[in-house]
Amino acid sequence: MTSDVLRYVPSPGRYDEVVDADGTTRPTWQAVAKALGSFDPAVLLERQRQADRLLDAQGTGHLVHEISLAPDRHGVTAVARSVSHPWRLDPVPLVIEAPEFRRLADGATQRMRALAALLVDLHGPRRLVTEGVLPAPLLHSIAGYRPVSEHAPAGPWLVHYALDVVRDAAGVWHVVQDLTDSPTGLGYSLLNRTVLARVVPDGLRTLGVAAVNDHADTLRRALTAAAPAGLRSPRAVVLTAGPADPTYVEHSYLATRLGLHLVEAADVVMRAGRLWLRVLDGLEPIDVVYRRVLDARLDPLEPGHLGGGSGVPGIVWGATGGRLTLANGYGAGVAEAPELAPYVVEAARHLLGEFLSLPLLQPDAALGSSPVFVGDDAVPFAPRPVVLRMQLARIGDEIVVMPGGAGRVLAVGDDPRRPTAQVVKDVWVVGSGVRSRPVPVNAPPQVDFGGSVPKRVADALYWLGRAAERSEVATRAVRVVTAQLLQDPMLSTFEDGAWAVGVASLLRAAQGVPSAISEYEGSSAELVSRELAATCTSAAGQLAALVQEATSVREYLSTTTGRVLGRLARAYPLFVGAATQADDLDTVLVDLAALSGLMMESTVRGPSWRFLDLGRRLERALGVLGAVEASMALHLPPMAQQPIADAVLGANESLVAYRRRYRSEVDFQAVLDLLLRDDANPRSLAYQLDRLREHAAGLGWSGGAALVERASVNSLATIDREVVNGRIVSLDAFVLGVRGPLLELAAAIVQRWFADPVNPTLMRGH
Amino acid sequence: MARRYRIVHRTEYQYGRPMADGFTTTHLEPREREHQHIVSVELAIDPAPDELERSLDALGNPVTRFAVHRPHTSLVVESTVVVDVGLQPVPAESPPWEDVALLAMAARDDLANELGPYLAATFSTPFLPELALLTEHEFTPGRPIAAAVSGLCQRMFGAFAFDAGFSDVTTPIADVLAARRGVCQDFAHVACAALRSLGLPARYVSGYIETMPSPGEAKLFGVDASHAWCSVWAGDQGWLDFDPTNDQMPPMNHITVGWGRDYGDVAPVRGVVIGPSGTQTLAVSVDVVSENRQ
Repeated sequence: MTSDVLRYVPSPGRYDEVVDADGTTRPTWQAVAKALGSFDPAVLLERQRQADRLLDAQGTGHLVHEISLAPDRHGVTAVARSVSHPWRLDPVPLVIEAPEFRRLADGATQRMRALAALLVDLHGPRRLVTEGVLPAPLLHSIAGYRPVSEHAPAGPWLVHYALDVVRDAAGVWHVVQDLTDSPTGLGYSLLNRTVLARVVPDGLRTLGVAAVNDHADTLRRALTAAAPAGLRSPRAVVLTAGPADPTYVEHSYLATRLGLHLVEAADVVMRAGRLWLRVLDGLEPIDVVYRRVLDARLDPLEPGHLGGGSGVPGIVWGATGGRLTLANGYGAGVAEAPELAPYVVEAARHLLGEFLSLPLLQPDAALGSSPVFVGDDAVPFAPRPVVLRMQLARIGDEIVVMPGGAGRVLAVGDDPRRPTAQVVKDVWVVGSGVRSRPVPVNAPPQVDFGGSVPKRVADALYWLGRAAERSEVATRAVRVVTAQLLQDPMLSTFEDGAWAVGVASLLRAAQGVPSAISEYEGSSAELVSRELAATCTSAAGQLAALVQEATSVREYLSTTTGRVLGRLARAYPLFVGAATQADDLDTVLVDLAALSGLMMESTVRGPSWRFLDLGRRLERALGVLGAVEASMALHLPPMAQQPIADAVLGANESLVAYRRRYRSEVDFQAVLDLLLRDDANPRSLAYQLDRLREHAAGLGWSGGAALVERASVNSLATIDREVVNGRIVSLDAFVLGVRGPLLELAAAIVQRWFADPVNPTLMRGH
Repeated sequence: MARRYRIVHRTEYQYGRPMADGFTTTHLEPREREHQHIVSVELAIDPAPDELERSLDALGNPVTRFAVHRPHTSLVVESTVVVDVGLQPVPAESPPWEDVALLAMAARDDLANELGPYLAATFSTPFLPELALLTEHEFTPGRPIAAAVSGLCQRMFGAFAFDAGFSDVTTPIADVLAARRGVCQDFAHVACAALRSLGLPARYVSGYIETMPSPGEAKLFGVDASHAWCSVWAGDQGWLDFDPTNDQMPPMNHITVGWGRDYGDVAPVRGVVIGPSGTQTLAVSVDVVSENRQ
């Protein structure tokens, strides 16, 4: 039997989503085929590639790259892994008809209520044990089960619940597993839909596919509804373990969709029975924690905690005081323990008097299948089981099921709980009658933290700004020197190596190690290529730092930024190893310029932006000084002055400005004026000082303003005194008077804004 | 005849650098039990905590949690406890151990909840097959549980060497079984795991022991440490304590602080500080003084 719509042969004797037992294409799929337009492999391949690109742009790309920048424990380096995708979206969705989905949703809702009742019992009276339903040793041996019966949680046990279901070979839906601790997949589902909606917009419209994006609002309302009683406008945050968490992409994406702060353990502190967010100027209270950190890693004070001092100390104790809701409650993870699964049906009967409509999947049960696009011209589709992950949220007493989900494709031999195929299908619920019901609530809206910026975020943004500028300085220096060499290969031995020494000094400055070169080993050509390679390595390190810092503050950057970061992460290998191509360098420079543009034009001018720009301005001021110091320190023969001055101007993006203004051969005094004193040149020192002054004022930081003022006055006086006729009289005096105050400012920024080290340390036992 | 003990348990942390916040959970206050009466408890904390809460944990042990929210470079927790301890007699007759296991398995109502935690295989008390080597010759068919446990206690005392340098609180019992050495916490974990793997409820008991000076010598201060042993459920006979480290059943000179499934449930002091990384040092001393030796 072969589908007449797809070129596809399902597995014989097993339920298939598209083809029925007689080999006929199911009626829905006739409509799906029409709506999708074509099942032509070439078209589908193009769609899949488009989906890859879109997923990448949403940030999944650079997050995966970021993690792989350092060689991992398998010895796989960045280069090897950066070509892979975190997951691929199948261009053909899993389609479920509304009446069928409604039955599934009812079963899932019933199960969520049952698991909530189970949690109340297991963390309370334990009737299931005292009445002999559940063997006590089994319960107490579940890793992570602690009889924390002292206090009930302030909110419901389960605010968010996810459930994996799959069809068996007969077509009957079965439960694969429950996710109650920190359910994953909602963010991925929303992301997948966003992507597929771009790839096949007509399909969704024509078929009337139920929208899933409401579910983010549903979850936000659910979190608000779970807040401690009596709050007019509760504040919720998303708690993550940080970028090292394998599901960080989802945390970051969800936080953005929910409009909530994404916080790490170091961002919050428990005091006086409340949880507080560390913001730039003190602490702000938090009422609800949507935790994406597992029970076992939540609180280092709790017995059975894994992961040393990680987590938020005291948060579990604090939550029992009734002024903080953990969603889900601490200990909710017990309900997903595989040991308990065989008892859930009996528990539901015992506790609720209900018979659960969805049966549990037996190990080794034969499963149904769905066509999965494999891209082969002859056999474009393979029959594979697909596990559907459903998402549920509880608002007060009501449970809302997202009409859709993620279809996780199983590879041959996969445990349905842990698919390895890394292929996901979007799930389309078609036909009337299933909508996510936005519950009309009059609850006050989630209050934004306004201008509040967590300290860690300000810290990361500041270093992001600095890393962005430093990668640009290093890349451009390499680009300029490479270009000069390309045009005139004789330069490397020009004037007895004078040019080589000049650009080598410039390259060193770009690496952040300003030291004038007087002696060197080997030929002058070797000196240049050695410094070029070192500058490339430095640029690669700065790019890595840039991507890393950006990843931890992703939700503060515009959505397009993810696309640029993905490209920059992939550029990393360009700087390692063989000669770097000018074209590649240009691409990186364009991406860095795009990033800079996004930071300037697509970021709200709040305190977070100020820290980003503060870092960039400070680094640029130091960068231009480095170039000036490096080139001025040398006593260049007159013939070498022209190409060196060109290089200094080029490395600081000021060559065009110079030529337009002076229309002359290079005169060093004019070069220095343009780079140091000219406040109309956005690359000059004076310009950076003006921006730094604005930022200090904007932050209301009088200490900083005073430092900028001093730096400004000192450097102008020093420049007037020490720069004469295109030469620096005393380099030491110049550095002391100009660079000194800037370094002082840099230290003051860290001291004033980021100084609190907040690493939790486990006190040693005895 | 009860003995009165005065125990001073002092824990001192030096952090090297100022910490912004410190959170501590302590199981230092002894609980009342049949043969033990608490006369007084004092907990001195320096610096004085900004918040403190005393409650009973889920297993009925007194727990004190406190936090310091201002810069501090050290923390001293000193508990001073006065307690009267009587001898817990070992019953002359006790039921066959298999009957106890059956009773435990069939337990319902409150008894099911009372015994449940102490039947668990936890991270520290896994049911390893090697445990059978310790139990198979003692838990013979029909043997009264008190006799079998006493035999286990004796066997363990003979088989394991006390070695303070061998293990710490994170050493798995598999290592202890393989090396045949460890400290009291390890032996208590081994005994609990051995009994529970037979279906017998066993508690990990945390507390103190008075070490006797040699005749003619003055008792030394500060040499005693916190101690751990075991308690087995013997059906109608209730819970019977035994100390595999010292081969004592019943234990003599033992002061109970609390009990749990394993060390993690009743760790005396557990804490987290937030601040710069420094060089943390820890000093612990326990003084147990008998106030009216008979």
